[in-house]
Amino acid sequence: MRILLVEDEPVLAQQINTVLVTEGYAVDIADDGIAAEALGVSQPYDTILLDMGLPGRDGMQVLKNWRAAGMRAPVLILSARDGWTERVDGLDAGADDYLIKPFHMPELSARLRAMIRRKSEQASPVFERDDVVFDSRINQVMVAGQGISLTAQEMAVLSYLFHHAGRLVSRTELSQHIYHHDGARESNTIAVFINRLRKKLGDSLIDTVRGRGYMIKAPE
Amino acid sequence: MTSLRGRAVIGGILWAAVTILLGFAGLQSFVDQGAEERFDELLLTRLSQVVTAVENVAATNPEAIAGAVGDPVFMRSMSGLYWQVENDSGQVFRSASLDDHVLPRPRLLVDAAPNDRFLGPMGDPVRAMSRYLTLDGGSLWHVQVAKSIRGLQQELAQLREIMLTAFTFVIVIGVVGALLQVTVALRPIEKLRRDVQQRWTSEGGLDHGKYPEEVAPLVYDIDTLLTRNREIVQQSRKQAADLGHAIKTPAAIMRNELDALARAGQPVGEAIAALDRLDAQLKRAFGRMRAQTGIAALPAVTEMDRSLGRMVCAFGDMAAQRNLTLTADYPPGQRLRMDPTDLEEVLGNLLDNALKWASTAIRLTAIPQACGVTITIEDDGPGIPPDQIALAMGSGQRLDIAKPGTGLGLSITADLLQAHGSALLLDQSADLGGLRARFRLQSVQAQG
Repeated sequence: MRILLVEDEPVLAQQINTVLVTEGYAVDIADDGIAAEALGVSQPYDTILLDMGLPGRDGMQVLKNWRAAGMRAPVLILSARDGWTERVDGLDAGADDYLIKPFHMPELSARLRAMIRRKSEQASPVFERDDVVFDSRINQVMVAGQGISLTAQEMAVLSYLFHHAGRLVSRTELSQHIYHHDGARESNTIAVFINRLRKKLGDSLIDTVRGRGYMIKAPE
Repeated sequence: MTSLRGRAVIGGILWAAVTILLGFAGLQSFVDQGAEERFDELLLTRLSQVVTAVENVAATNPEAIAGAVGDPVFMRSMSGLYWQVENDSGQVFRSASLDDHVLPRPRLLVDAAPNDRFLGPMGDPVRAMSRYLTLDGGSLWHVQVAKSIRGLQQELAQLREIMLTAFTFVIVIGVVGALLQVTVALRPIEKLRRDVQQRWTSEGGLDHGKYPEEVAPLVYDIDTLLTRNREIVQQSRKQAADLGHAIKTPAAIMRNELDALARAGQPVGEAIAALDRLDAQLKRAFGRMRAQTGIAALPAVTEMDRSLGRMVCAFGDMAAQRNLTLTADYPPGQRLRMDPTDLEEVLGNLLDNALKWASTAIRLTAIPQACGVTITIEDDGPGIPPDQIALAMGSGQRLDIAKPGTGLGLSITADLLQAHGSALLLDQSADLGGLRARFRLQSVQAQG
């Protein structure tokens, strides 16, 4: 999953980035409103974390411009503005959630996961197919009750496919959502990750449609 | 006395009454004096008439005096006009109008002077004039005429009555005029009061050019004061928001560091608790700051259905995510005397509280009443026992720490409502069974 983090306070941005990367997200950071707006409309983010008080362009204006441009990624506002008017203004402008500073990082992570699930219309944070169980809250994978160790990239690929189960996902799309903006993006490496996942989780979980992409079946 | 109108009216009436009474007294004195002078002139003429008769006939034939006087009014019995002549031999001759009565001798023996008043033969007051004269033969004669003053009194009473009627009319006209004058004079003050009242509910300023030159400087000063006050409040709120932002972001950084240390097993519990207290103190301070500046100077009118609609829409989504039902019933077109941001803060806190505690349902209603609207938010949660309601309204009081929050929402809400002249009432919802929070806000009439 690829996240855009818009935060002008570098220490806080780095703290959030560290936690999100640890949880398997690919994170791009923008520290002003203008750069944030450009990234938001040009990159396929799964979720955006948006501060309101930004240099260059106010976060509220950035959000309005994104929505006006048709940007559909879920947006979680992170703001010190704790009045209900500001919160409702943010939601009315197209935000999906609002978190007041200072916040607990676990709460930020939980809200982020909930937003991603809502976007992909998944009700539960725990995904099950046959004997494979993926708990997105703790990034844990079990096969027949046994814990399986996955690399960060393997986990990112698996998470994205589970969140979009029932839909064919191309290699390009996968690479756009598991690498951050400055990351080395080679779609050939996706095939390597898929092969490793099949070896660890079994051949039946991920279907390959040759030349088009990969798919995890929708739950029955 | 505190009423300007009362002062002006009573002062005007008193001054008019004094003026009119002095005028009445002066005019009456003038009329009385004129009437008496005319009366005396006529009496003197009568005296001259009798003196002439006495001079002509008294020396030779005193009995012919009556015929010499000749005026029939002296012949008619008790006509009110009399004469009496007495010589130095003690002989008394008198008009037929006296019948058998005798006029008393006047006390003052001054020649031809109007000299006395006494009761006449009819018992009515008369005014007399007399003169001593010496005839050619050397005899001394006292000539006296008297006339009833009842007619004069009646005439003066009639004049007085006419004057009284006229002056009463003048007094009524004067009082009505004073009232009208005060009303017209005070109209700019009343307009200023209305304009200032309206200024609370709109961004516009006061136009001192529309006021009389005596009031215009005051209007200008009030407008300047209100504008400055509004700027101070807006600056204070902006500074509070900036300060909040400046403090909360470093607080977030500290919290993340402390949380990371806690996860790593470091003993940072006291530091986290101190940070919690700092966050709560900041929230409380900003809440109070908002309440204290809430009603001070900002245009304080809210289109109720807009604010309620926004909050219901936002909280409806949150309620749906938690499998709760939020219903709302409020009439359109109501304008409330409260800053929109403050009203939304109150609604947000109460709805957020209901969202935390409701089992299945939250209901928001707004019912217009005389000069106001009562807004009620109810839920079907556990509610608050009556003996703990005061505690729940206290600053930072959390009745159940199982739910997230600072325990400041109800306290800040109560402070905000109090700043706007309202009050937060908490009790049990009659049908939903959970907490019912109510408050009443003043309506603002629509301006054409």
